Amino acid sequence: MSDVGGKELRIIGFLCNWCSYGGADAAGVGRFSQPTDLRIIRMPCTGRVDPLFVLKALVSGADGVLVSGCHPRDCHYSEGNYYARRRLEVLKRLLPMLGIHEDRFHYTWVSASEGARWQQVVTRFTERIHELGPMDSLDPELAVCAIRELGGENGQADQPAPASGE
Amino acid sequence: MRIGVFVCHCGSNIAARVNCAEVAKAALNFPDVVFATDEVYMCSEPGQESIRKAIVEHRLDGVVVASCSPRMHEVTFRRTVERAGLNRYMVEMANIREHVSWIGHDKDSNTRKAIDLVRIAAAKLRRDKPLTFKTFEVVKKVLVVGGGVAGIQAALDCADAGLDVVLVERKSTIGGRMAQLDKTFPTVDCSTCVLGPKMVDAAQHTRISLMAYSEIEDVSGYVGNFTARIKRKASYVDFSKCTGCGLCTEKCPSKKTFDDFNEGVGTTTAINIPFPQAIPKKAVINPATCLKLTKGKCGACAKVCPTGAINFDMREEIVEERVGAVIAATGYDLFDHSKYEEYGGGKLPDVITSIQYERMLSASGPTGGHVKRPSDGKEPKTVVFVSCVGSRDPAKGRPYCSNFCCMYIAKQSILTKDHIPDSQSYVFYIDIRAPQKGYEEFTRRAQEEYGTRYIRGRVSKIYPEGGKLIVRGADTLLGTQVEVQADLVVLAVGVEPTPGAGKLAEKLRISTDQNGFFMESHPKLRPVETNTAGVFLAGACQGPKDIPASVAQGSAAAGKAISLLARERLEADPQVSHVNPKRCVGCMKCVRVCPFKAIKETTGRDGLPKAEVIEAMCQGCGICSVVCPQGAVQLEHFKDDQILAEVEALCRTWVAKSCE
Amino acid sequence: MSQLTELKEAIRKALPDLDLVLGWREGYDALHAPPYHIRRQEDLEHLVFGPMCVNNLASQLMHLRGKKVGIIVKGCDARSVVELLQEKIVNRESLVIFAMPCKGVLDVKKIRRALDIDHAREVHFHNGTIEITSGDKTSSVELKDVLADKCLRCHYPNATEYDHFIGEPVEPRVSAEEAAADPAMEELAGMDLTERFAFWKTHMNRCLRCYACRNSCPLCFCRDVCLADSRDPHWQSQETSVREKWMFQMIHAMHLAGRCTQCGECERACPVGIPILLLKKHLNAVVKDLFNYEAGIDPTATPPLFTFKVEEENIKEIEL
Repeated sequence: MSDVGGKELRIIGFLCNWCSYGGADAAGVGRFSQPTDLRIIRMPCTGRVDPLFVLKALVSGADGVLVSGCHPRDCHYSEGNYYARRRLEVLKRLLPMLGIHEDRFHYTWVSASEGARWQQVVTRFTERIHELGPMDSLDPELAVCAIRELGGENGQADQPAPASGE
Repeated sequence: MRIGVFVCHCGSNIAARVNCAEVAKAALNFPDVVFATDEVYMCSEPGQESIRKAIVEHRLDGVVVASCSPRMHEVTFRRTVERAGLNRYMVEMANIREHVSWIGHDKDSNTRKAIDLVRIAAAKLRRDKPLTFKTFEVVKKVLVVGGGVAGIQAALDCADAGLDVVLVERKSTIGGRMAQLDKTFPTVDCSTCVLGPKMVDAAQHTRISLMAYSEIEDVSGYVGNFTARIKRKASYVDFSKCTGCGLCTEKCPSKKTFDDFNEGVGTTTAINIPFPQAIPKKAVINPATCLKLTKGKCGACAKVCPTGAINFDMREEIVEERVGAVIAATGYDLFDHSKYEEYGGGKLPDVITSIQYERMLSASGPTGGHVKRPSDGKEPKTVVFVSCVGSRDPAKGRPYCSNFCCMYIAKQSILTKDHIPDSQSYVFYIDIRAPQKGYEEFTRRAQEEYGTRYIRGRVSKIYPEGGKLIVRGADTLLGTQVEVQADLVVLAVGVEPTPGAGKLAEKLRISTDQNGFFMESHPKLRPVETNTAGVFLAGACQGPKDIPASVAQGSAAAGKAISLLARERLEADPQVSHVNPKRCVGCMKCVRVCPFKAIKETTGRDGLPKAEVIEAMCQGCGICSVVCPQGAVQLEHFKDDQILAEVEALCRTWVAKSCE
Repeated sequence: MSQLTELKEAIRKALPDLDLVLGWREGYDALHAPPYHIRRQEDLEHLVFGPMCVNNLASQLMHLRGKKVGIIVKGCDARSVVELLQEKIVNRESLVIFAMPCKGVLDVKKIRRALDIDHAREVHFHNGTIEITSGDKTSSVELKDVLADKCLRCHYPNATEYDHFIGEPVEPRVSAEEAAADPAMEELAGMDLTERFAFWKTHMNRCLRCYACRNSCPLCFCRDVCLADSRDPHWQSQETSVREKWMFQMIHAMHLAGRCTQCGECERACPVGIPILLLKKHLNAVVKDLFNYEAGIDPTATPPLFTFKVEEENIKEIEL
């Protein structure tokens, strides 16, 4: 169970490989204990994080999404986090208009050496999501559908799309 | 697709907090997973062998390793699958150690999380495609930026190994800080005597092209194929004609020019050769004080120059050099002690910096090696050294230790006694840092043989009184206030990055640390590499360090450049962007945002504009992919579909679970 | 000389150097003026201009690349053209812009609600009213009650980028501040999060994924290769769930962030009346707030999401 209030919630993190992913590693090496709700997806750079990935996650069942990259001026690709900052700030301000609490999404900067900071970020973000509780679903009937699909999880339900025939 | 999942116990590192067998069992239910197992050490010889065997036996075409961070062992497991005949990109890692077992206490939730991470990895793996390398030729030439001792060493090592070298120095002579020093610790060797021959070697080496009085304008390209634009500043002297005879400097009437090399101890002429052993030994005109250039009158130097080398119409020029690797060796600058009001704020003439004192001690310096107080030219009898001025002082924004001040203070106190036998030196220090070979003994010698009195404590105030300087400070060992009446105070000013370091870092696309020094790729294991392939670091530009450390790092950086360029061709990382021309509408947003100019505009078969990635220049950031609304630009290994598969793999189970 | 005559004259002179000119022609009734391609001098006879010329002709420019094209624009249409110029979809040298000052276009839905009319045989405008003859009956309504919402708050009635400006510029109907005030936006802003979530859930559920919104958008110039119907990359399944529909509208809105000129064609084209323009208006307000930027004004500017500043004045440093 999550360290925050019993029930685990569903949180996805998109982390830059060069900094925050390493920061999360550093937190592990330092044994900085954290709530276990977060699932991390490794990205080459926050500049690769399409705000639509975040929206896709939120609408598909995530209760919170965290994006973390290199501090401004420290981008491995020199500019990726600058583009990310603009895109993600716009996204953050779009969410309330959609009826989604803006705190369900957070972006921040954590370097590879900031293990302790990473612990704080994860802990606070997880707490915040727990305060907000599970996200509403657009399709209440969806849960049932998903189970049916899962029936054949080894299965054929979600074969990757065949190559485009364009 | 046939996927194998390998769950590592990492001894008890993972197994103590994650039920590895259960993770493997759960993985068997994931789409396309046909084999799953757990092992004690996946990275060990037997562990890797079991992966190899399973690939062959179960005809796997992709592997998920659930173990430590991919930053740790991705390369290892890529090699493992390659040995078994798979493409090295057909492996994905689930980080269940750093991101799971080491941070979570509850075994059940850890196990669930580990299962999810394996699920993500397997989902992505199903969309992975074998990626093949392209190779490209490298330019067997190295650009060394900075001609101090680290840069000279790096240049010589590269050149000796058969690489061509362009050595760029901002000043008119190479030699850097070391050339300014009188003696070096702990041997009290003559600095110029040991450095001089190296400078000559660098200048005479057939493979080294020395560009003095030049700066880096910009650097483009990528590892193996950089293009550097180098600005040759206007020296107003034709270096090909100047013989360094020095006649011009004798005749120059503008004698009040600030003497940069001598740190303002004494003045110099507008046309100047910094020191007798300068290399190249060429005169340079300071346009700010030259009468001809400021007022249009004079030209005395041109009249006396026997070779007609003076050219008042000279303009700066840009030279382009193609190189395969870059070594940054731009050295350090010194802290401006005027920030310390309590030490006179730079206004007391007899409070000088250690480097100014060094110039005074030098026989070829402005005082001919005689120690003289700047205020009245008298020989000081009591000299006080103050350590950590702009070091270890977070209040002044200098939290770090400048590394070598303790040692040169000991050296300078010894030299003081040599120069003025009836003198007494005092040193105010916080700690004496003398960890290298022969250093501790050296500081003991200063105290025991030369009678230097060390006082442990900070100086609180320096003020003039009756022709003397009163140095007031604490003696923390005795717990008392002390006052010393000094004739001369030498401040051991701290080391800081050169003013141009930040700009150069941007040009080289490398990072700087919180203090502005260039950042190494890994503090322990990659100390001379940067995160930009092909750019290496040498000397104090990476952090304060003394001469032997700088020389060692110069050689180390050269070693890295040599091993890089020893290959005829380099493998290009295939994790680059590609444009699908069928989907590209030619809006060129990707071209606009690419930080590496790696996307160009071409014309498609339909005659309409299309974007095209120059693979060798693409660094794989994926910024382009996000600005392309129709998803025509995709970054290999991080395609939209791969990331969406990861998101969906998680969400699908989550939604299902909430219904249970 | 009337504005229309002046316009025809300008086109007549320019036509020999052009492949075609985009305009409007009389439609099946007097309330409709469909888009029209003028290729020959004699085509000019059919050219019309007035409040019934609702379509944003810039939507067609993408498919006319490589041709020398003339286009008649209203103030709002011109902003779309400017955006297309910025994004290199249109080459300024091969484009001739005929700018018409605009006093607003009709919202036919509003007319149908206000008046009981069938086939509009004749339409006349005078003194702020519109007089419609349908069958043998003539009825009239105040123009301001039947203009498109966007026109009531239009701040850009005159094109900023053009080759020929026909007639005299008209005064904006409202000030910039008044233009920003929008009852529909205020209504949405007045809801709490749960209500807003439910609002979109209801509306998105009605989406048919017919893509009329996308197809009418002048800036969705990648509509032939849109993510919504692509298998590679595969963003959208053919599932009819609300989340797939919602996701499509998110793709549409996010791709327009910092680019949308608020011409309103998406919402006008929607057959089920989903207020999707609200999303775009909100994003435009965000972009204005963050980057002090309005799309479609300066052809040399870079849309804000394709550039950055090292120090962003209006984005706070992140703490957590």
